[in-house]
Amino acid sequence: MDAPEAQAAGCYTEHGVSGYGIAIKLRREDPMDEAAVKSIAEAMMLNIAQKCVERGARCIGHIKSHVRTDSGTIKSDTIGVTHGAFSTGHLDHAVQDLYMAVNSIVQGMHQDEVKQATLDGIHEIADTRGLSVTKEKEHAYFDEFDFTASKEQYRRQLEEQLASMEDPSTSE
Amino acid sequence: MQITQVAGFLGCGKTTLMLRLSKELAGSGERKVALVVNEIGEIPVDGKVMEESGMRVKDIGGGCICCEVASTFAKTVYGLYRDFKPDHVLVEPTGVAVPHQVKLAAKMSSRDAKIVLGPAIVLFDATRPAELLDMDMLGQLVTTQVKDADVVAISKADSVSESELVRTADMVRALNEEAEILNLSSFTGLGLDRIKQIILEWKE
Repeated sequence: MDAPEAQAAGCYTEHGVSGYGIAIKLRREDPMDEAAVKSIAEAMMLNIAQKCVERGARCIGHIKSHVRTDSGTIKSDTIGVTHGAFSTGHLDHAVQDLYMAVNSIVQGMHQDEVKQATLDGIHEIADTRGLSVTKEKEHAYFDEFDFTASKEQYRRQLEEQLASMEDPSTSE
Repeated sequence: MQITQVAGFLGCGKTTLMLRLSKELAGSGERKVALVVNEIGEIPVDGKVMEESGMRVKDIGGGCICCEVASTFAKTVYGLYRDFKPDHVLVEPTGVAVPHQVKLAAKMSSRDAKIVLGPAIVLFDATRPAELLDMDMLGQLVTTQVKDADVVAISKADSVSESELVRTADMVRALNEEAEILNLSSFTGLGLDRIKQIILEWKE
């Protein structure tokens, strides 16, 4: 097994805190309404937290997510399995595509372990809820989003960003 | 331009308070407020949430503003001063930042920008005091954060009992006798008026 990569130094690493972030696109043919999206996001947050604990985390700093869709945004987070997960936000109508950013900050684990727990936590819930993870990109976000754009433009911007993440030569 | 930090360990409710407080301070256009958020984990979830609130937000990544990217923070503060001239800048450092180091970093910008340091408001999560203070590694960090506070806001006060709040306040007071300690719920609004008053009346 490869030795884990050295973590970048910082005041967080001094305290044994590690983080991992990922942007993903999820899709389900059966449209998901606000309650369903919140339920999925919360289940993922708790599953990631649980997997972190199983991998030796001493404290969940937070597991946070931000879900963008073409009908609104949902934010969901947890500070640990026993604390539960909470969501805010609103969707105007049911959607098939979710553009999700997840940020996991945990104490007592190496960042490679946080990464694995995060990925496992996401994929496991996606599988059980009938979602396919169509695209994913580490350490990135859906940037340069224009909040005044139309729904159609919004979706196009996100798709373009994901495409450029996969093929950097297409980005400026 | 007054710079006030809303610090505290991860998950204690800093972002929620920043959103509420920024609106309270802005009032109906009485004051210009800008937000600076610094996150670890490489994906700026909080910054995106704040942007959606319509506030002026500057997101700083690449490290912690209390140490690694302190100079970036100073430049960001100066940029806000030059381009936006806010009356108040609310700063959310990472959950592992040390408040007095954030103050030092903010002071770096005072060479170029007219700034006044506001209070260091440190949130302390009422739902997990033992977890935060008892652990070998984090206890030291959280203790330092509390000791550095001008104001300690015991957050999520609506989620615990009165007796738990009293016990938590006692723990906090044992660490910092000087700071004002108040109960806060960003959901019910408990404590928000007092924090706003403290910020507006603060003398460096």
